[in-house]
Amino acid sequence: MTAAQARFDEAQGALIASGVWHAEAASALPNLAGKAVRILDGTGVTQLDTNGAWLLLAAARPQASDPMPELRAFQPQHLAILQLVAQHCRTTAAQAAPRREGVFELTGRGTLAMWGHLVGLLDFIGRLFIELVLLLPRPGSWRWREFAVQVSTVFVGAIPIVAGMLFLLGVVFAYLLGDQARQYGANIFVVDGLLMAILREISPVIVAVLVAGRTGAAITAQIGTMKVTEEIDAITTLGLSPLAVLVIPRVVALVLALPLLVFIGDIAGLAGGMLVAKEQLDISYSMFMDRLADVILLKTLLVGLGKAPVFAIFIALIACRMGLSVTRDARSVGAHTTSTVVQSLVAIIILNAIFAVTFVKLEI
Amino acid sequence: MAEPVIDVRDVSTTLGGHSIHHNLNLSVERGEVVALIGGSGTGKSVLLREIIGLLKPQAGRIELFGQSVWDSTPEQMNGLRQRFGVLFQDGALFSSLTVEDNVATPLFEHTDLPHATCRQLARLKLALAGLPADAAKKRPSELSGGMRKRVALARALALDPELLFLDEPTSGLDPISARAFDTLIRLLADSLGLTVFLVTHDLDTLFSIIDRVIVLSNGHVLGSGTVAELKHIDDPWLAEYFAARASEGETVHGN
Repeated sequence: MTAAQARFDEAQGALIASGVWHAEAASALPNLAGKAVRILDGTGVTQLDTNGAWLLLAAARPQASDPMPELRAFQPQHLAILQLVAQHCRTTAAQAAPRREGVFELTGRGTLAMWGHLVGLLDFIGRLFIELVLLLPRPGSWRWREFAVQVSTVFVGAIPIVAGMLFLLGVVFAYLLGDQARQYGANIFVVDGLLMAILREISPVIVAVLVAGRTGAAITAQIGTMKVTEEIDAITTLGLSPLAVLVIPRVVALVLALPLLVFIGDIAGLAGGMLVAKEQLDISYSMFMDRLADVILLKTLLVGLGKAPVFAIFIALIACRMGLSVTRDARSVGAHTTSTVVQSLVAIIILNAIFAVTFVKLEI
Repeated sequence: MAEPVIDVRDVSTTLGGHSIHHNLNLSVERGEVVALIGGSGTGKSVLLREIIGLLKPQAGRIELFGQSVWDSTPEQMNGLRQRFGVLFQDGALFSSLTVEDNVATPLFEHTDLPHATCRQLARLKLALAGLPADAAKKRPSELSGGMRKRVALARALALDPELLFLDEPTSGLDPISARAFDTLIRLLADSLGLTVFLVTHDLDTLFSIIDRVIVLSNGHVLGSGTVAELKHIDDPWLAEYFAARASEGETVHGN
């Protein structure tokens, strides 16, 4: 095995190559700028593959319009490869670099894409509603099994993370609140603040965010992968509706599961607060519970629990729609899953703001 | 040629409690176009995965170019991998890359060539595989099944391997595309001096482009030879296999 070598013979106009000509041989080519190669000489070439052949031919004939050089002293099998490559060498005109888009163009495109998302979501809600109305009088055709599987993954599987998160948030919140309250000797009012914050805001929003990240992403990835493997098409050709089979069980499961998870979050958050109240503020567990019973209003609990199904509908709709709009490649699954989480989070924050303003106006 | 390109010695495989191969032996010489056939579940694909280093057999020794597949260091194995190309059954193209970048990927990774040169070489490989020039900038999802196979073949050829593995190269193709693909493989094998090892169910492939057939049955090699030689082996599965063809009038092209 001798390394590839090539030199240019000015007198003959010949490029003389020798050694092993593979893809790695590119560096052995001399600078041929402005020189016309009339002869390609392969006297010393011991090995040649198509990559090596292309390199030699491309060096001798940089433009397709240049004449084909005379091939000299190549071994017969190398000659065959050179001819095969020469036949299939086609000059594809250099692709123009993609035009860079300006700020206005990007903004315009982004706005149009957002508008498209919104219209698509409305269309999807409409179709889903029709499907639901058609299904309602026929409980026999409900996908109970799929529904049960979804409840178990969405609800049961999420309990540890929801309880753990809210417990820690309860600890942090009670600690900060307690620090302030103690300065005024108002230790016991920590319970009031904690109750209000956890039940009304923290638990619904945090649980919805967790579910959007955990379940929403999973739904999009699963449905998206089913789209890639043509399972959705198979469902359609079997005379079934993908909306009834896949989407409705997930939406209903999420609408049921999210309030339950919020309730678990409420309890975990208060438990975390109770622990801190005892350690930091000397409020015993029984004092905490007494105060809790005094100040708790059913309204406070229901406001938090009532927000949950609304969040759930939006998370499930966004996740299912993004899953169904996956195109047939792997990157699309990733992009749509990301989009699901982002859209869900934005929806949760906006909905929560709307709720807050509405409740204040209605004096709830 | 002293040493075989592929050498499988006493390979035994057990998957999920089922014995797939016991003491299986086969070898392939340089420049041969060899087909592996056998009924469903006889472990053809498993054997292929073992030879290309994706699945470790329980016992035995597999050598490519005289170098052991399963006793090599990762560096040696990577060197070995550049000497063979694999065409997977469904193409296994990278769906997020264009056709051209799919073929150029091995060149990007394993050579020091500038990317522009890699892409030009990729276009040469696409042309060799019989794809039109406008396919280069498309995504795999925009191509038909036959074209995807051709792209996959172009990618398998990117580094100019000496050995080509094909897993059911003509499955899912219409008869005309399948024959064209067969002809292409034979043409490339002859003009580039490739050794080709393919797993197939396609009788037409066997009759048209294959030098030697290896039959897998009950965990070992039942026989090997040209199609004509195999017909003398007394085996119910083989008899039925060739009967399917004989009934429609034999047209042996041979080589």
